[in-house]
This record gives sequence, structure tokens and C-alpha cells, in this order.
Amino acid sequence: MKGVLGAFHELDTTVHAIEDLKKSKLGDVTVYSPTIRHELDEAIAGPNSVVRRFTLVGGLMGVSFGYWISVWTGDYWPLVTGGKAIASWIPYTIIGFEVMVLVGCLSTVAGMFINARIPRLTTTVGYDPRFSGGHFGIFVACAPDKAPQVEALLKKHGAEEVRREA
Amino acid sequence: MGTIAQPVDGLRRPNIASADVQLPAVTSYEQVDREIISTLGFTKKWLIGLGIAVLAMLVGASAWIYQIYWGLGQAGYEPPVMWGVYIITFVFWVGIGHAGTLISAILYLFRAGFRTSIYRAAEAMTVFAVMTAGLFPIIHIGRPWKFFWLIPYPNWRLLWPNFKSPLVWDVFAISTYLTISTTFLYIGLIPDFAVLRDRETNPMRRRIYGILSMGWRNSDREWRHFAKAYLFLAAFSTPLVLSVHSVVSFDFAMALTPGWHASIFPPYFVAGAIFSGFAMVWTIAIPMRKWFKLEHYITLNHLDATAKVVLFTSMVVGCAYLIEFFIAWYSGVRPEQEFFWNRVFGQWWWAAWIMLLCNMALPMSLWSQKLRRNPTWLWFLSIFINIGMWYERFVIVVPSLSHEFEPWQWGGYTPSWIDMSFLVDSFGWFFMWFLLFVKQMPVMAIMELKEIVVPKLKDPHAGGHH
Repeated sequence: MKGVLGAFHELDTTVHAIEDLKKSKLGDVTVYSPTIRHELDEAIAGPNSVVRRFTLVGGLMGVSFGYWISVWTGDYWPLVTGGKAIASWIPYTIIGFEVMVLVGCLSTVAGMFINARIPRLTTTVGYDPRFSGGHFGIFVACAPDKAPQVEALLKKHGAEEVRREA
Repeated sequence: MGTIAQPVDGLRRPNIASADVQLPAVTSYEQVDREIISTLGFTKKWLIGLGIAVLAMLVGASAWIYQIYWGLGQAGYEPPVMWGVYIITFVFWVGIGHAGTLISAILYLFRAGFRTSIYRAAEAMTVFAVMTAGLFPIIHIGRPWKFFWLIPYPNWRLLWPNFKSPLVWDVFAISTYLTISTTFLYIGLIPDFAVLRDRETNPMRRRIYGILSMGWRNSDREWRHFAKAYLFLAAFSTPLVLSVHSVVSFDFAMALTPGWHASIFPPYFVAGAIFSGFAMVWTIAIPMRKWFKLEHYITLNHLDATAKVVLFTSMVVGCAYLIEFFIAWYSGVRPEQEFFWNRVFGQWWWAAWIMLLCNMALPMSLWSQKLRRNPTWLWFLSIFINIGMWYERFVIVVPSLSHEFEPWQWGGYTPSWIDMSFLVDSFGWFFMWFLLFVKQMPVMAIMELKEIVVPKLKDPHAGGHH
């Protein structure tokens, strides 16, 4: 993926550069930051995460399985213990709850991995180790003919370094 | 959403709350990286500590070999007391394991800023405490090679375990808790592994951190999904924390034994678990902040905030102790009344009074702000609370079994040297893992600390920090 990468040391200049880039529509913007910053979130205005759907589906599957395995095994070999009903929903709620949490959490993690596209096995274009330290980064995936405009915009907003990535 | 160019109108609140606990001595992202990464170097003191922990663990390992060879009779069990130090220590460590997820999940949802500096160490503590607790049912069954019988699966006649049994609930609760706590710890570590990967100069270590970070790049896409996943993990972990010790309490409360059969047990156990877990956080975090020179990250404000939690949970636990006596008196059930009298003024008075002194009386010192902000006192108090909470479980397990309904069911219990070796072993095992952890992984969440630090701004006067 070809594009231009800019490294910033200040949050406000990064936000202004993102806003300008979105306005000028020069290419797809990826922003790197050492931590979560809501200022960047607002400037990027990205879509809502769909991880919550994985959580919902996983939780529902878990609770269904937890209740089902308890009821099915009780019914498969019906031994009355403690004078309780074969399918006693109160004790089985504990199994249902625990399996709901287990599957719900694991599917949340799976959802995060799938949507964030990790694990990432190859080194990728448009990353600099400074972005996990104290710098913010903006990578603009664009055609070579638009690269000079992007470079100029990033420099105008005070990028410490601007370079082309291929 | 601000998609047009205009000045940043002030910094937004961080994802985690921090307004109440600030880190004034931490001024840049680079400083956070530098100071947290500097804790990873091996030192002589650390090696000595690890050596002591391994030695303590070996004491228990030797005792285990001895017990396997000579049989479970080597433990101090004597009818009618057939649950002893192993079950007491199991409940103790499960309780310790509560604070980590409480701090990382519940305090995250409540936006309690003081969690940021301590939650990573507490999460690791949780994982290792639950790993330690998990050893004890295996030791207790006497034939550890049959441990897989604990796992819910059918036998050769396709007879499944009884899902109405508290012991089966326990297996589900503890294994779910261990899995989710480990997942929570690891997910939070991914961005920090990326920091270590990018700062590491040793190629082998950089490669290992690269694998552990899963190619994390700090991109907006990754952060967006990370934040959402973290929120949902916290939301799931919150009821899980409350359920685990409730389920452990059902091991007792479902029985008709005097002193056990009480509906107060779940909240009583949960409060006790939070109380002991926070005490163990002090036991670990107070020396850690000194040895690693992290006093400006775990400030006196942090300790003060945790002390208030300890004071509150101490009062909840104390209230539960008193209500137990009230229930026994008010019930009019004579075995129950005799049992509680025996617990405090009879055979087990010394254990009960250690419990009351350490868990009810000494924590009242925390009404004093001066003592809440005195790390030395907090550390000593944490040791007393740890002792008191172990004795609380002793008082729950042993006196009940030794004084049931009929006089022929009454007896005594003296732990053998094998029992005590396992107790020592549990601390060795726990601290071995923890000491290995602190030198391989960041003891504080670099990513979340950076959220608190005011980022570098070209125009700092464009807006104020909340």
C-alpha cells in the first residue's frame, strides 16, 4: 500500500491535520497514537465497533449451552438427588451464567482480533516505532500524484517528519 | 463530531477516569516508557527474592511427594474434621484473587482513577492467586493423578457429574474465572508488549515481544476495537467476580452443618475476598513502589483511596461476623447457638479472636487519614489482614466440622507439618510467578498511564485539562 506517513509530536497539530485531510479527501487516513485519545476519535469519526455483536452472540450461545448441557445430562440418566427436579433451573442458572461469561468473553476477544486484524504476521507499511512511544502518526494511503499535496498538508500542520511509504 | 479544521477546544476526559488521582511528577509519554521499562532489569535483590520463593515452593513439593508416597493420612485430618488446611488455603487464595479483577473491571466501570497505577499488578496477582488456589483441591483429593475427574465429562457409563452440586459449580466458576482473568490480563498487555517490542535492543527479546504483541500498531482501528472489547470484558468480569466467591461460599452454605448453613454467606465471602485481595495488593505494591522507585506513580493518594476500600470492606465483614451471632441467637436453634459460643469462647477461641482482631479491630485505624497515608503502617496492616483472613477461613471450616449436632461428632484438629509445608509452598509458588512476571512484563499499564499524562501540545492554552 503506497502512501505518505507523517510523524507528529503534538496532539493538537495531529487533530488539525486529520481534520484537514478528511476535508480535502486526499486518501484513506490511518492514525497512530501511543494511547487512546478521544480528541483523535472525534477527529477521525470512525464507525462504531462491531465487537459488541460478537459479545452478544457469544453470550447467548454460552448461556444456551450451559442450560442445555445441564438439562440434557440430567435427563439422559435421570437420578433424583436431594429430592430435586431432574431439570432444576435454579442450580442450572449457575452453570448457564458461568458458561455465558466464558463464551461471551472469548467471543469478545475473537471479535476484537478479527476486527482489529490481529495477529498481524507481516511488517506493515506506514508504521514507525515512535508511535508506541511519544509520537502520533498519520498515514494517508493515496495515489502517487496526490502525494505532494498530502506531504504539503502534513508539513503545514507541523509534522516532525514526512516520508513516502511503498 | 469535529471534522472541520478548528482549534482543539480543550482536552477530553481520558477513557479511564483520572480526574481525582493525577500524576503531577509524570510529564511526558517518553518518561512513562522510560521509567516503567527500567523496572524490567534483573537485580540482586530480585534474584534473592526469587531464590527464597523457589525454596519455599520446593518445601511444599517435597511434602507433596511425601504425602503421595505415604497417603493423605499424613495430613492432619482426623474424623470428624476432614477438611483442613488445604480447603482453608484454597478459599484464602481464591479470595486474594478477587481484588485484581475487581480493580481492573469494577473500578474501570465506575471510572475510579486510582486503579490505573495498581491494576496491572493486581491482575497478575489474581491470575497467580487463582493458579495457587487451583492446586489445593488437587492436593486435597489425595490422588492427584485423578485430578481430571474434577472436569465435567461423562464416565464410561455416560454418567455425567451432578450439575446440582456446589462442587461442580466450583469447577465451572474457578476455571471460568482463571480463563477470563488471564485473558483480561493478556489483552491489556498487548499494547504494552508493542511498546517493549519497539524499545527493545536485544533481538531475541524483541522477537518474543513482537510475537506477544501480535503485530499491534497503535492504529485507530485497533484502539477502537480494543476499547470496546475491554469495556465488554469489564462488563462480563464484574458479575463474574461477584459470582466466584459466592459459588465458593455455596460449598459451605449448601450443607446443613452449624455455622455454614446461612444465606448471608455469598455477600459475606465476596466482601471478605475484596478485603483480603486489597490487603495483598498492599503487600505487593508498597514494596514494589519503593524498590522500583515508582512512588510518583503509586502516590499517597492512591494508597489513601485503597485504604478507604479496605476500611469499608472491613466494616462489611465485621457486620457479617456480628450478624452470624445474631442469626444463631435469634434462630433459637440450640446446636447453632452452642456452635457459635464454642467458636468464640470455647475450643477455638484463639482462632476466632485472631480473626476479630485482625479483620475488625486493626482496620479501624484507617479512620485516621494520617495512617491511611502511611505506607509502612499499611504494609504491616496488610500482613495482619492476610493472617486474619486465613484465620477467618480456619474459623469457618474447622470449628463447624469439629462441633456438629451430636457430641459423638465433636472432635479436634491439629495441622501436621505436611499441612504447614503446603501453606508455605503456596506463598512460594505465588511469589515465584509474581517475581518472574515483574521482570518480564510491565508492572503498570503503560498505555493507561499515558492516558492520564497531559499530551504534548503546540498550543497549550487552547483549552484546559479536566
